[in-house]
Amino acid sequence: MKLPPVEYEAPTTVAEAIDLLAEHLDEASVLAGGQSLIPLLALRLARPAVLIDINGIDELSGVSATDGWVAIGAMTREYVAEKSETVADTVPLLAAALPLIGHEAIRSRGTIGGSLAHADPAAELPAVARALDAEFVVRGPSGMRVIPAAQWFEGYLTTSRRPDELLLEVRFPAARRGTGISFAEVARRHGDFAIVGLAASLVLSGGVISDARLAFAGISDVPVRAAAAEDLLVGERPSTELFDEAARRATGDVDPPADLHGSSDYRKTVAAAMVRRGLRAAADNAARGSD
Amino acid sequence: MAGIAAERYTGASIKRSEDPRILTGAGRYVDDIKLPGMLHAAFVRSPLAHARVLSVDVSAARALPGVVTALTGADLEAMTVPGPDPLMALIGGAGPTPEFTLLATDKVRFMGDPVAIVIAESRYLAEDGCELVEVEYDDLPPVTNAAFALDPNSPPLFANLGDNIARPHSRSEFGDVRSTFANADRIFDFHIDVHRHQNVPMEGRGCVASYDAGLGVMTVYAATQSVHVSRIGIAMRLGLERDKVRVLAGDIGGSFGLKIGASREELAVAAASRLVGQPVKWVEDRSENLTASGQAREESFDVRAAVSNDGDLLGLDVKMVIDTGSYPGMGTMVPAIMEAMLPGPYKLAALGFESTAAITNKASYVAYRGPWASETFVRERVLDLIAKDLGLDPVEIRLRNVAPRTNPPALMITGRPLVGVTSKESLERVAQLVDFPAFRRRQAEARAQGRYLGIGVATFIEAAPGPRSPEGPSGPMGTESMRLRLTEDGIVALFTGQMPHGQSHQTTLAQIAADEFGVPFEQVRIVVGDTDVVPFGLTGGSRSATMTGGVALHGARQLKAKVLDFAAHLMEASAQDLLITDGNVWVRGDPASAIAVSEVARRAASGQFGADVDATLEVEATFDGGEGGWSGGTHCAIVEVDVETGIAKVERYVAAEDCGALINPAVVEGQIRGGVAQGIGAVLLERSAYGEDGSFQSATFMDYLMPTACDVPRIEIEHLETVPLDADVNFRGVGEGGMIVAPPTVVNAIEDALSPFGVRIYEQHLPPARILELMSSSRPGP
Amino acid sequence: MVDITLRINGATCTASPEARKTLADFLRDDLNLTGTHVGCEHGACGACTVIVDGRAVRSCLMLAVQAAGSEVTTIEGLAPDGGLGTLQQAMWDSHSFQCGFCTPGFVMQAAAFLSDHPDAGEQQIREALSGNICRCTGYQSIIDGVLLAAERNRER
Repeated sequence: MKLPPVEYEAPTTVAEAIDLLAEHLDEASVLAGGQSLIPLLALRLARPAVLIDINGIDELSGVSATDGWVAIGAMTREYVAEKSETVADTVPLLAAALPLIGHEAIRSRGTIGGSLAHADPAAELPAVARALDAEFVVRGPSGMRVIPAAQWFEGYLTTSRRPDELLLEVRFPAARRGTGISFAEVARRHGDFAIVGLAASLVLSGGVISDARLAFAGISDVPVRAAAAEDLLVGERPSTELFDEAARRATGDVDPPADLHGSSDYRKTVAAAMVRRGLRAAADNAARGSD
Repeated sequence: MAGIAAERYTGASIKRSEDPRILTGAGRYVDDIKLPGMLHAAFVRSPLAHARVLSVDVSAARALPGVVTALTGADLEAMTVPGPDPLMALIGGAGPTPEFTLLATDKVRFMGDPVAIVIAESRYLAEDGCELVEVEYDDLPPVTNAAFALDPNSPPLFANLGDNIARPHSRSEFGDVRSTFANADRIFDFHIDVHRHQNVPMEGRGCVASYDAGLGVMTVYAATQSVHVSRIGIAMRLGLERDKVRVLAGDIGGSFGLKIGASREELAVAAASRLVGQPVKWVEDRSENLTASGQAREESFDVRAAVSNDGDLLGLDVKMVIDTGSYPGMGTMVPAIMEAMLPGPYKLAALGFESTAAITNKASYVAYRGPWASETFVRERVLDLIAKDLGLDPVEIRLRNVAPRTNPPALMITGRPLVGVTSKESLERVAQLVDFPAFRRRQAEARAQGRYLGIGVATFIEAAPGPRSPEGPSGPMGTESMRLRLTEDGIVALFTGQMPHGQSHQTTLAQIAADEFGVPFEQVRIVVGDTDVVPFGLTGGSRSATMTGGVALHGARQLKAKVLDFAAHLMEASAQDLLITDGNVWVRGDPASAIAVSEVARRAASGQFGADVDATLEVEATFDGGEGGWSGGTHCAIVEVDVETGIAKVERYVAAEDCGALINPAVVEGQIRGGVAQGIGAVLLERSAYGEDGSFQSATFMDYLMPTACDVPRIEIEHLETVPLDADVNFRGVGEGGMIVAPPTVVNAIEDALSPFGVRIYEQHLPPARILELMSSSRPGP
Repeated sequence: MVDITLRINGATCTASPEARKTLADFLRDDLNLTGTHVGCEHGACGACTVIVDGRAVRSCLMLAVQAAGSEVTTIEGLAPDGGLGTLQQAMWDSHSFQCGFCTPGFVMQAAAFLSDHPDAGEQQIREALSGNICRCTGYQSIIDGVLLAAERNRER
């Protein structure tokens, strides 16, 4: 399983990278952490003519908090984000998801931007980004765009990044007071991709849910927000009955894929269980936080 | 770990002499071998399960810079000696012989069937070349399950066979089957399926082949369980005399039955290296290993059980179908072993057994650690199913049915004596180690809280090597040979045909020889892996502890006698008065007389003795297994099943085992734990999956899931007090037992966990989705 | 071909590997450091684990050219003068391995993990090593070796 012949470029600035992307468009693949791209190359499933290695662009790394947001540079390694106190303090849902990404060695090289640009619907970060309405900052020859998560994920392994654009950073909103979160996944083994995963975030004010976010990994070709369930939850007090109904609404009309690891019905059943458990955990997490 | 006991190594967990190199990256595996001018091979493989090959055009591949040549199946037939599969020719498969070619010629018969070989300066370039080979296929309807294969309308995979039956249907009966079933209180009927899964050693198959045209010698560096078996196949296919073929093996990254004899690809590589006149290396990648190296265990069983109202298992009547894949090999031999082993350690009075082997468009069925293991799965599942129906406890029903140890020993209805079998003791020991009543209380409390725990047991025996039989040596593969020599440096060298690939023979055999001969452990060297130097042998069948341990013991004793006879001349004493301890030869009662063994060796090699003194300090020893014996035990698992997600976890695992006298307890325990891990993997994670069109769907580790450190709990192992059968050699094999008995142990536990839902399980593979399906239907699934 | 300079096991190395060549293949083929093993070539088994700039990485998922300017440690360079470090000695004492093919990957992953988490308990160690596949041992002896090394490190 050896990589096919490919040209290699290693720009050191964003401008250089964009010039290369503009030149090669669909014939180029951006190489960030390589933890998703290199296996595809080794299996000869991906056949770019050019690899644009952005590991040498220092300005793409870093975690900074400003003004109710945390901006994470696209080349920030997953392990760096995992160790970041800023992330732990201000984006707890992201902090909860990071340790579940593969294994330590994967997170040594894998990047926040790379994972989100690869957009595997069974991966952890897309569900987190979708749950929190993260924003994707890209730059191309015609300038900068900020793309909300709802528009970033277009299809299976497909984002709205144009071939001549580079993802520069991803911005996550800081969690508000009263937030409780839960990130969990059902996977065949520790560290595997989710069969079904759930990113859940609740804001409790005075014991009442004032904000609810539920985003699934693994039940569609993109991460999916359970909007009907979220609408049900807002304005209500946490209860088992409420969470059971939310689970029904969250999974009522989903049509998950079937594969070797589970049928469509199986994923639907598991998704419902995850909603029940995830909401309970998020509510408990919020209650503890407000003590 | 225990320090080296000055007096005795055998029985202690002596640190392995393999480890210093293993732990520092200084091991030498096939892919580490580099020869001057070495080229690399890659294979073009069929993307279709069943198709005619209309044309193979290698011209574009050959034209790629860096590619030295590309060869088709027809090219390889022309440059080798056509004939049947050399391994099957050697070990004698039952049934008709299908056409055999190194690469596919006119037909491809499974997805991954090799169609062309490309030889290039690097593996990268060879793979690039493979992409340029153009093959025209004419799709044929695939035969993707045994039922269709046995249908006379299925398109035959092999024109010369005319149908897809690898081994004709046969039936045997033992005891009075008819009247046992006619008189039984209860008759049970079950259909039980075992799924396809596979060996998956961490190192794939591979070799480096190098032909010296001047000497006419083919040298092959191989990863193999027997250098001699590989040599025989290579010589046969390449039309060379055996002594013009040398097979060498160093460190091997696991095998579990996969790497026996040279595979089609390795034979093709050897032939290609002779053609191009340069060494050629091929090591399969993971996708080749999963897709094409071979798979195992896909068997189905219709089981009829004759039972008394009190739970006596009186008789079994079993109809088996085995899916042997596309190029029938060792799979055809498995049913006969299963038939012999089905009674296990129980008092079964009657057995009917029939089997058919089907040929399908899948990779070949290969030997996988305990190839007959499904007999234990079927029997131990059936006992639990009967127990449930009759309201009996699983330990109770087994104790009721296990054959008592008598003198003379009870005979299995299929003929072998259950001599020295401690199954009853293993059941009792497990019941002591695992407090069943306490577990049942915990189980009830957990159920009240919506948590589902379960407990399962299973008992087995394996012929490791098996009891002494009147016909001759114990177990398959006959006597074991070894050459032992005291080298001129004073090293006790053991030359064996064993080919360790994780079994730690370099350590265990040295322990035995050191004790028997009287030298420190470090003064013994085990020589393996060179057909020019070692006698015939094969590592497999859980036989080396007895056969090779035994020949090492007796051979060391014989060598010692010879050395003492010679030393008697040096020391002017009588050989009976001489001792060897701690590397010195001395006269009993006179410590000052001591001469180092190394000095004795040096003197013997000096050539100063006349014809009346035998200074050749070497013996050729053989061992027929002595009294042989069984290994076996009882395993117990406690599992928890999350009934909302179907995820099952093994919480606790206990094994009470008897493998005779232990040479090295740490080695024994490692073998058991590794086998149990494979059994857990089989039940919860591993499946070699084919689609209905014959496409192979688990070709990477993202789909073929291996058990990890989070899936295998601590395994508690109790060594039972064994029944010694032989005056000297009571070591018995332990390599396969864990993998044989762990699957039913875990499945029995899962069924117990799900019993509130009325679930009955008739299959071995229980991924989470299947567990939820079983719960929602609580009827046997498709 | 891309010219790179990097440090391997403490020595500076200059080479011109093809861009598509993985770090694993570069180590094994170009530098003859065959201690790093290739088990799957898609980052799923951990056999190829080495340490790059202080972090355990899967060398089959890095291009050799990406290691330019980095410090790479392989199994051959883990212990001084080709002897055995504390971890390797503890694994020897614990009978951690059988066929040895997964071993270098486990040793490098465990070494990296222990240096960041010297007081890790069994469950943490199991999770940290759950991305390394061993087919022979059932893992218990490997975990025992790591626990023993951690204990011995603390005793120093």
